Amino acid sequence: MKVFFVSLLMAGTALCQDPAPATAAPEAAAPSTADIYRSVVRIEVATQVPNYAAPWNAGRFSGGIGTGFLIGPNKFLTNAHVVSNGQRFLINIYGSPEKHRAKVEHIAHDCDLAILSVDDFAPFEKLPVFSISQAVPQLESQVRVIGYPIGGERLSVTRGVVSRIDFQPYSHSRADSHLIVQIDAAINPGNSGGPVLQDNKVVGVAFQGLTEADNTGYIIPTPVVNRFLKDVEDGRYDEYTDLGLAEFPLINPAMREALKLPNNGSGVLVTNVTPTGSCDGQVKPGDVLVAIDDHAIDANGSILIEGEKVNMHEIVERKFAGDQVKLRVIRGGKSEELTVTLKTLPQSRMYAIKYEEKPRYVMLAGLVFQPLDTNLFATASFRDVTVRRLYSDYVSKGLFQEFEDIVILTDMLSDELNTSLPRYTGRVVKSINGTKVSSLAQAESLLYPKTPPEHFVIELMGVERPLVLPAAKIPAANDRVRESYNIPRLSNLKAR
Amino acid sequence: MKFLPLLPLLWLVSCEKPAPAPAATVPAVPTPATPEVSQAEPAPAAPAHLSVVRVNSTLQNWSITQPWEKNPPRQRRSLGAIVGDHQVITTAEMVADATLVEFEATDGTRRARAEVLSVDYEANLALLQLADAEEKTKFFAGMKPLEIAANPPLRDTLEIIQVEDNGQSLITSGQLLSADVRATFLPGQLFLTFRVKASMQSSASSFSLPVFNDGKLAGVLSSYDSKDQISDVIATPLIARFLMESRKEKYQGFPNLGVSISATEDVHFRSYLKLPDDQGGLYVSKVRKGSAADLAKIVPGDVMLSIDGKPVDRRGYYQDETYGSLPWVQLVRGNKSAGDVIRLTLWREGKATDVDVTLTRQEESTRLVPNYQFGKAPNFLIKGGMMFQELTRPLLEAYGDEWESRAPLNFLDALSNPEAYQADHDRMICLTGVIPTQATLGYEGLRNLMIKKVNGKPVRNMKELISAFQAMPISSDSHSIEFIDEDLVIYLNDEMSKMIDESLLQRGLQQLSRAE
Repeated sequence: MKVFFVSLLMAGTALCQDPAPATAAPEAAAPSTADIYRSVVRIEVATQVPNYAAPWNAGRFSGGIGTGFLIGPNKFLTNAHVVSNGQRFLINIYGSPEKHRAKVEHIAHDCDLAILSVDDFAPFEKLPVFSISQAVPQLESQVRVIGYPIGGERLSVTRGVVSRIDFQPYSHSRADSHLIVQIDAAINPGNSGGPVLQDNKVVGVAFQGLTEADNTGYIIPTPVVNRFLKDVEDGRYDEYTDLGLAEFPLINPAMREALKLPNNGSGVLVTNVTPTGSCDGQVKPGDVLVAIDDHAIDANGSILIEGEKVNMHEIVERKFAGDQVKLRVIRGGKSEELTVTLKTLPQSRMYAIKYEEKPRYVMLAGLVFQPLDTNLFATASFRDVTVRRLYSDYVSKGLFQEFEDIVILTDMLSDELNTSLPRYTGRVVKSINGTKVSSLAQAESLLYPKTPPEHFVIELMGVERPLVLPAAKIPAANDRVRESYNIPRLSNLKAR
Repeated sequence: MKFLPLLPLLWLVSCEKPAPAPAATVPAVPTPATPEVSQAEPAPAAPAHLSVVRVNSTLQNWSITQPWEKNPPRQRRSLGAIVGDHQVITTAEMVADATLVEFEATDGTRRARAEVLSVDYEANLALLQLADAEEKTKFFAGMKPLEIAANPPLRDTLEIIQVEDNGQSLITSGQLLSADVRATFLPGQLFLTFRVKASMQSSASSFSLPVFNDGKLAGVLSSYDSKDQISDVIATPLIARFLMESRKEKYQGFPNLGVSISATEDVHFRSYLKLPDDQGGLYVSKVRKGSAADLAKIVPGDVMLSIDGKPVDRRGYYQDETYGSLPWVQLVRGNKSAGDVIRLTLWREGKATDVDVTLTRQEESTRLVPNYQFGKAPNFLIKGGMMFQELTRPLLEAYGDEWESRAPLNFLDALSNPEAYQADHDRMICLTGVIPTQATLGYEGLRNLMIKKVNGKPVRNMKELISAFQAMPISSDSHSIEFIDEDLVIYLNDEMSKMIDESLLQRGLQQLSRAE
């Protein structure tokens, strides 16, 4: 099943609409339906998408259309993927030809939400503000989706019912799963970031759909939206935290018996604890997790919240870094109570697509070195087993403690100095002149030392023959490569 | 509807085509420079058909995904050359996983069951003989074994022998264009192969055909590309050596050195190695543990300058007296037997050193992950619905054409880095799948895991796995299974798994384990 984004990718075409006469917004009570439309804005974004295959290039200029809505004074909520890699943001009020310059205040790629503000809020001041519900919409209850999807220039409204509430992947980052609500109203490209309403209150944000199924639209439900709004209250988005555990269900009776657990369908077995993660040092592999914040965990890893069976991680989903979570584990036949302080693990973003970043790289005589991340992994389908293993074990085995970056020889741009080298692209750099490589910045300092050695000897993992380049000939080769491949800089060590 | 008028036309075209064939005197592709090339003509009373027999094989391999059963059988036919004391040489492909091999006289008058005397899957050659030796005089009456030709020089003319359904032999002449080492059957197994240009017709037999030079056996054709009219022919020296090896008491096969090498064309690399410019040389990048090179104390970083006095150039070629530039492997694999000694001149620590290496052969079965297992049923164990198999290349290939990227990473790691596992394992035992049963409740999602221990016992191979399951501690009523790289122990109830095993047998599984 393929998940698609619902922001509309296209060159911004000018909207030719008659300006609607401004009406005074009623102060009290829920705004009327017609008024509400005015607070659903069309967002036009010009983007610049970096090119990881040629990291020295500016990237591709493109753009897209999405939807946003007013949730407070100069606060427009939309999806992160609508504004990702954006360079210019314009906001349109429904029915008005005027485009208002905006900027991103907060962006949360892990839950696909963002807040924009406009340079001049005056034209928006009289517009009604959406209030966000606290509850998750009930199954079978009706919802309305408002936005600017394909098929026309003007605002569109669709209706549907809530068909499913689940814990599902958010496709924007490719690495995160949160609570999701599936509805059967049509959600199409351009709907992204639009409000989903019930009784004129926001119960979700439209954000993705399925290509292989009909009538499946996905919305970001209120618990996720409210968590995001709370997180940014201090002016900064801190990302989700995670227990950093892998669990195995304890369904098999023989397994339960061997672990001396009663056959009551409770508890999951911990099989991996992420080194330096929230639970490191407290929870151990082999522990049986039986409760989280006093919610009993069943053998499948589910808990009961507000009458709904949800994944046990839902407890942590609603918390923030620095918050505590109580875990009850059975260890060696004894029940123990643990209090874990949650923290974010920036290295776990290894598996998330990065946005708003300039690809990092270092070049030497046409050899291109890049740090491994998911953007690069998606661009350069690596076949080498070592690269793929280091990538998949990076977080779970705590390899980040050893490697700040996994530096890869990604390309060899032909130059007379390197044409007789074997093409060992797509391999991990093990060492440079005998020094183990553990970050791109360190690799750069090894490749450009104050006093160069006679030869640069670059060893790659899984390749027994080193790459050797004479140091004296490198400056001339660098000049040739910069000239012929039109490369402005030989390195970029800063992603932002 | 629109297609209809086209049909009679097509039919006409296809009708016209065979017309010139009966004449058979016109060369299919006239080549002015070499007029004798590609000429198909009915053989005169030449003795070609008296020195060949048809080989009819029934091949049937084992299912990889359900190792207790066999895949549907296939039939293959080839033409074998009679050599020596009425033995028949053909390609190894013809007998790989064969359940029945038969000889058939080209005139169709007699058939008899054959057996394999020796087979080399790497060199793609097999030597067969009649199963019933007493039948020999009768079956081969009037037939004449072939001599092995002297190595034909490049540009010499070779004759490819085919036999039509009516028993008439068909000889196609072609020029020997080039000789190089190529893989004709298994990937990566490089042996001396001729390229011959000849325009052949497809005939009753497949393209496993004898190739003659001057009335003597000069090679075995293994494949034919009808588009380019180029065929690959297993070369004369290899045939001669295979026959020589086959006559030894025990067939040993072709030896290897056990090194990975890298070219030294790169001038900067040469200057780093301080290699003299008047030399060639091949950089030894890896030495397999226990290999001939390892026993001769060759180490990574050594540079091979010459083999048996023949200089090896920067790209690994030497000058062969007959065939010109050939890759160095020919000096080891093609020209030598296991036990032979070769002298290597190595560049080591800035000077040339001579090292004598006694060549050995690594038996495929001693590999951690064997590349092939022809004629051998795959080992497996079904226990309570859990399926354990040995990691082999055929198992990996079952992940599809893209197996090198689609197969599980831990399996691929064992294939490419066997050294990391060999201390504790002869074979990697894998949990490849779980048949949903009452005993495997909750384990349905487990697969692609490699086994470390069962009931606390380390598992080196399938036999040890089976005996580890038989050695459940008396104090316990379930088996424990531990995996490599996972902090997970799972348990399987003994009584229930026995019940499940019983019911699986009743459901038609031929057997629940094999460890041979």
